[in-house]
Amino acid sequence: MTSPRSRLEPSDLENQLARARGDSRVKTGIAVLDEMLRGGFMQGDAVLVAGSAGSGKTVLGLQYLVNGIEKYEENGVYVTFEQMPDQIYRDAKNFGWDLRKLEDENKLRLVCTSPDILLESGENLLDEVVSDIHPNRIVIDSLSHLEMFVPKGDMRKEAYRLVSFLKMKGMSSLLIWEAGQITANSFAITEVGLSFLVDTIVVLKPVEIESSVRKALVILKMRGSDHDKQIRQFEITPAGIKIESAFSNYEGVMSGAPRRVASEKFTELFRGASTKHK
Amino acid sequence: MGREMSEATQMLATLLSSEIKGDLLTLFHRNPGLLDSIDGVARRIGRTGTTIEQDVKSLVNLGVLKLKKIGTIEVLSLNRTRDREILEALANHIKAIKGREEA
Repeated sequence: MTSPRSRLEPSDLENQLARARGDSRVKTGIAVLDEMLRGGFMQGDAVLVAGSAGSGKTVLGLQYLVNGIEKYEENGVYVTFEQMPDQIYRDAKNFGWDLRKLEDENKLRLVCTSPDILLESGENLLDEVVSDIHPNRIVIDSLSHLEMFVPKGDMRKEAYRLVSFLKMKGMSSLLIWEAGQITANSFAITEVGLSFLVDTIVVLKPVEIESSVRKALVILKMRGSDHDKQIRQFEITPAGIKIESAFSNYEGVMSGAPRRVASEKFTELFRGASTKHK
Repeated sequence: MGREMSEATQMLATLLSSEIKGDLLTLFHRNPGLLDSIDGVARRIGRTGTTIEQDVKSLVNLGVLKLKKIGTIEVLSLNRTRDREILEALANHIKAIKGREEA
């Protein structure tokens, strides 16, 4: 699974002990996000990444897998129902991630299938991939697409089965969910009760500020761990997702109608008035 | 050497024998992680399950594709190892033909 190293580093030993205790962290490799998560996702947890189209969910998923392989020697699987792999290979290359090379090295598998096949096969579909590369990380893109193939009312049951399978196999999963409108008032990101099923929820959201669209990231929930509660601004750069500072001068970012906080407005007005006076 | 050549010629003939086989090979080479039913694969190349059935059978016999029964459904996938072997054999075969032509 991993390239052999001659000596065990102290950090390896620490990681192994932490894994045995069940309290180790799965780092995303995005430094600020790992800080926000107090070290990373909890080992074996199911993480829901919710956001609207173009919010960066797929990029986050790919970056999580590529960083897992390149920085932490953890193999990964990307399961896609919507996008064909050739498009994902191409898009990933724009970020400098050579997925075909990682597949040739047996560190990554990009699986493309239909949701009905996954549902009918009862996850046995992934058995070969699991025994081939022993992945520690998996991204499912997306659960919302899977939902379209599940009879009404059965989605929570099916998702529970999938999450349980992934946990049994020891995989830390990132489950992508396409959500239209996410507001701070509602923690029910999905209408099928997935928010209660998963351990962590990361929300990505486009926000309109001063006639331009910016992207916001917030950790809504993290079972069994403290986490950063701020709404952070992020950008999709040529190297992947880069998280910046919090939207400190704005309120109502999650509502979709952000406005400057009163003190900021006042300062600006005061500044404007004093300039005029001069 | 002669036997290897004739095997490669036969493989090449099989692979190039129909447009559908060409479409299937292109699809699986571009998307080596594709796992789908015959109907699902057919949809992805704009055809129907019954139209591609014979060509699928022929590629399964050649070993390029795998047909595996999972639960109640049959899932089609690329046999990466066999595919690599075949590509290598074909590349050598073409190289040998070019060598003979140049000589």
